[in-house]
Amino acid sequence: MKKSDTGLKKRISEPVKRVDGPLKIKGEAKFVDDYIFDDVLHAVTVRSEKPRAKIKSIKIPPLPSGYFIVDKNDVPGKNRVKMILDDMPFFAEDVVNYVGEPILLVVGPDLEKVYGIASRVKIEYEDLPPILSIEEALTSNKPPIYGEDNLFGDYYFEKGNLDSCFKKADLIIRDEYRTGYQEHIYLEPQGMLGFYENGRVAVYGSMQCPYYVKNALVEALGWPEDKVRVVATTTGGGFGGKEEYPSLIAGHVALAAIKTKKPVKLIFDRKEDIEVTTKRHPSLIKFRTALDDNHNIMGMDVDIILDGGAYAGLSTVVLQRAMFAATGVYRIPNVRVRGRVVATNKVPSGAFRGFGAPQAFFAIEMHMHHLAQKLGVDPLEFKLKHVLKKGDYTSTGGLIRSEVKLQEMVEIIDSMSRYRDKYRKFKKEREKLRGIGISLFFHGCGFTGKGEEIIKAKVKLRKRRDGKVEILVANVDMGQGPLTTLRKIVSHTLHIPLDDVIYENPDTDRVPDSGPTVASRTVMIVGGLLERAARELRERWNEAPELEVSRVYKHPEYIRWDQERMEGDAYPEYSWGANVVEVEVDPITYEVEVKGIWAVYDIGVAIDERIIKGQIEGGIVQGLAYALMEKMEMKNGKILHNSLTDYIIPTSKDFPKIESRLVENPYKYGPFGAKCAGELPFVGAAPAVCAAIQHALGIPVKKIPVTPEDIMDLEERGSED
Amino acid sequence: MVKVFMPQSLKEALRIRKEEKAIPFAGGTDLMVKRGRLRGLAPYFEKPVLFLHKVKELTGVKFEEGRVRIGALSTLSEILENRDIPLILKYAIAEIASPAIRNLATIGGNICNASPAGDTLPPLYVMNARVVLSSFTSEREMKIMDFIKGPGSTDLKEEELLKEIIIPVEFFNIVFYRKVGTRKANSLSKVSFAGVARLDDGIIKDIRISFGAVAPTPLRAPEIEEEIIGKNKVKIIAKIPDILEKYARIIRPIDDQRSTARYRKTISLKILEYFLKEEIK
Amino acid sequence: MKIRFVLNHKKVEIDVDPLKRLLDVLREDFALKGVKEGCGEGECGACAVLVNGKLMNSCLIPVAQVDGKEVLTIEGYKNTKKYKIIEEAFLEAGAVQCGFCTPGMVMAIEALLSQNPSPEESDVREALSGNLCRCTGYNMIVDAVLLAALKGKGLW
Repeated sequence: MKKSDTGLKKRISEPVKRVDGPLKIKGEAKFVDDYIFDDVLHAVTVRSEKPRAKIKSIKIPPLPSGYFIVDKNDVPGKNRVKMILDDMPFFAEDVVNYVGEPILLVVGPDLEKVYGIASRVKIEYEDLPPILSIEEALTSNKPPIYGEDNLFGDYYFEKGNLDSCFKKADLIIRDEYRTGYQEHIYLEPQGMLGFYENGRVAVYGSMQCPYYVKNALVEALGWPEDKVRVVATTTGGGFGGKEEYPSLIAGHVALAAIKTKKPVKLIFDRKEDIEVTTKRHPSLIKFRTALDDNHNIMGMDVDIILDGGAYAGLSTVVLQRAMFAATGVYRIPNVRVRGRVVATNKVPSGAFRGFGAPQAFFAIEMHMHHLAQKLGVDPLEFKLKHVLKKGDYTSTGGLIRSEVKLQEMVEIIDSMSRYRDKYRKFKKEREKLRGIGISLFFHGCGFTGKGEEIIKAKVKLRKRRDGKVEILVANVDMGQGPLTTLRKIVSHTLHIPLDDVIYENPDTDRVPDSGPTVASRTVMIVGGLLERAARELRERWNEAPELEVSRVYKHPEYIRWDQERMEGDAYPEYSWGANVVEVEVDPITYEVEVKGIWAVYDIGVAIDERIIKGQIEGGIVQGLAYALMEKMEMKNGKILHNSLTDYIIPTSKDFPKIESRLVENPYKYGPFGAKCAGELPFVGAAPAVCAAIQHALGIPVKKIPVTPEDIMDLEERGSED
Repeated sequence: MVKVFMPQSLKEALRIRKEEKAIPFAGGTDLMVKRGRLRGLAPYFEKPVLFLHKVKELTGVKFEEGRVRIGALSTLSEILENRDIPLILKYAIAEIASPAIRNLATIGGNICNASPAGDTLPPLYVMNARVVLSSFTSEREMKIMDFIKGPGSTDLKEEELLKEIIIPVEFFNIVFYRKVGTRKANSLSKVSFAGVARLDDGIIKDIRISFGAVAPTPLRAPEIEEEIIGKNKVKIIAKIPDILEKYARIIRPIDDQRSTARYRKTISLKILEYFLKEEIK
Repeated sequence: MKIRFVLNHKKVEIDVDPLKRLLDVLREDFALKGVKEGCGEGECGACAVLVNGKLMNSCLIPVAQVDGKEVLTIEGYKNTKKYKIIEEAFLEAGAVQCGFCTPGMVMAIEALLSQNPSPEESDVREALSGNLCRCTGYNMIVDAVLLAALKGKGLW
């Protein structure tokens, strides 16, 4: 062990310069499209133009030598992308289920010619009746897309006795909320490179989960695991969009490389990326809430319906996270939550930062505001009266074991934003259309339920002869910072300089399966394992010049969870947040100007305050845009907002500075006390800004995105209260 | 591959335009998107392409005899930086796209695209701008309002090029522009409004109003403007309902992926009302 | 068609389809991979370069249009003192996350500071308005630019 000055900061939270920063700023970091090969073949995907149809025939133009078609007949193993229900084919078989579903690839050396051939492929369809909305999925007589009831998932859990509490209620209030699609718009479009050499296949690409990709390839090829290698390239943003989707196109390039015996490159065009990759699930969330005459919530009956699109993907897990967030941060004695995710003939919905929680938190926070307004009480005080505290039970009956600092966080954010003053003041000066809103929220850290126990993450630390230590994990830096934060955890535990910790982009030939880079789990779960591995390595440091230490995840003993009944601890731990947003609505154009944004979080302990600030800033802006501008609509299953001209994400001019703070609340099992942070900042933004709009207008907001067009309609219709 | 021409002079450009029926290529910011195919591929043109960027006669802004003459190939940035350009046009250009696009996009391109949402058009309409159209054998001049015929359609003949835009310099003490886009920058217009007026001793001596993105071409109604001229503030206020009603009859927006017809109509009338009530002082 | 231009301070000549996008010429013919394609329609700015000192999106420029002009990409800029100031400011302000938009951002910042060495926050927001970033929410990039302007006083 080095005794010299390690250059380490005293507190782990103190920011260091991002390890991957300089190469990225110089433009030298290698993204998937930046690799150069002489004999690479280009692939272009021929896709369904129909939302639902039988494929009657496929006519392929004559192929020049060196050009190939890759389709369902080239899949040696199972033509299904391994995920949860394994229902999505790599290439369509007899039917297509959404516009953009891949049917075949055209592959060849000249992109121009490949494109030419692809545009001359003629597909004859026989239309089938498409199911295009949640309503249609639930009520129409059209043949189901999935199973008999057309539901990918239908779950239910209950706490207390809901029916009897509704009988005793003094007041019952019903509400209905809707949320729309959201597209990730990671700046780097999806892309993969496939290689075939000496009986092995290797795929390089932009991805969050190298082992998801590897497992999908093993299944598609029917090959032994050691014949498949997956390497993550520098990944230009993910936000969940590169969680499950890359498995599909990794399959495409692998199959093409095997068939052509050449490297194959498939890089998405932005329009293609918007049209065919997964999106955030649209939702319809209904509440029926029972109150007593002391303004206490007695019970809540919540019905959540998500639009899953054509294939299941991760929809059932997204739904569960939405359900576990259904009653928000509140202590509700009697609860019933039903959740369904319907199949529709649209592009599959999937993982997106927050993973079901943003839909639920928008709904519950707006509902809580609405309840307070109906009762004529202050929304914040009404919320505070019901917030969960240590020792309370969650909606699934999980025990809150750690201190909940929400009350303290509300006081901090109130002093930062002067929320309470402004709330009273703006209400009096209605003509100016100013409003301020607050949201309270949590994010469950890591996988839901027993997920982590099933994944059994494995990490390795390798001490090299030169005294440097390499981190061997499968987690990807897509911008959120693990190349820096995981290094910090190891370097601080070992007391060695940051530069002596090595961590390369993961390669499944070299790293164990430490699980996917999702669910805000990388620091808390993988970082936690690395901290424990590093402690062991520190103790054994002088045993040998080269040393390898590994650790496998074990669920903390306190966790109890019954997946069948959805009862118990839905998450090992929670991070918490409070957001305040101030707006001014333009009385002429109904445009919303965000005037101020304040945020306070309890993420345990920050591993790097600057990286956390980046997560906060980026998450809030993405969340505000989800609420205000990111509108995506379809017509006959075709996306209308399919370019960056029409699908509107924020520019540098759209939102003002954000003032944020952290309260420390170390978690015993997290590395240095850290909990989850990546998704949390997204979750609270939409309900805070919508509460502010609602405050400005005096009219409930029940749908996002809420555009100026919607606000005009709300104003004209007037208050329903 | 199609033929591509890169002439050095206007005369040569016009000869090519006449002989080859080539597609004029100015800044290309719209053409490259419209003609774009797949990432990694050059855009597709079915006819020869005539690059104009080397034609010096098409560039530059001149101020002479009470008129500003803007070469059709002037970029939006060049126009924004020029002090002789009328304010109303600058206000509009400052809100078009982004700095990188304004460095490339030309005013001639914005005009010849004739998009209903083309943001230079409402200001040019209210400034009574004229366009100079050159061909190998002749030159003609016409009002911009007559040049723009419909969405994507102009009076430009197959052998012609838009050479310059002429704006008479007039004095207005009220200059108001409002763009309602899909976000605060780098956006397309849902509605745009250009209003200028000259107020002398409390009386409106001249007023001109134009709307973008609410009809197949930018909207200007001189006959309604006439009714406002000669009135004082009090009389205008009294007449606002009548004025709004008249505009309401001719504002005919559409629903599209950016906004709704109802929103566009409501907002354009509200902006007009605001202009008449609050800006005219 | 033969196209001649100055690329990163060196004269180059290339026989190429004149309609080929400058972006593709830079990435494929000159292997300048710091120029990124994020959208291909001028919306995102990941492909931004300087042409005769002005910020432009190389996806919107057929290579014929740069004939006789000077093109500067991140590769021709990254060894300058000004670049170093920007890099340091980016690291200090936390302006990089996934890094895909970053080279284009840097070119936009050079374009801004060369015109306006002491920008206000609003000038910075305007100058970056054609460069989309999905990770940072922009504020930390804006801070980096203001910091670079301060630290690089006299350089621009």
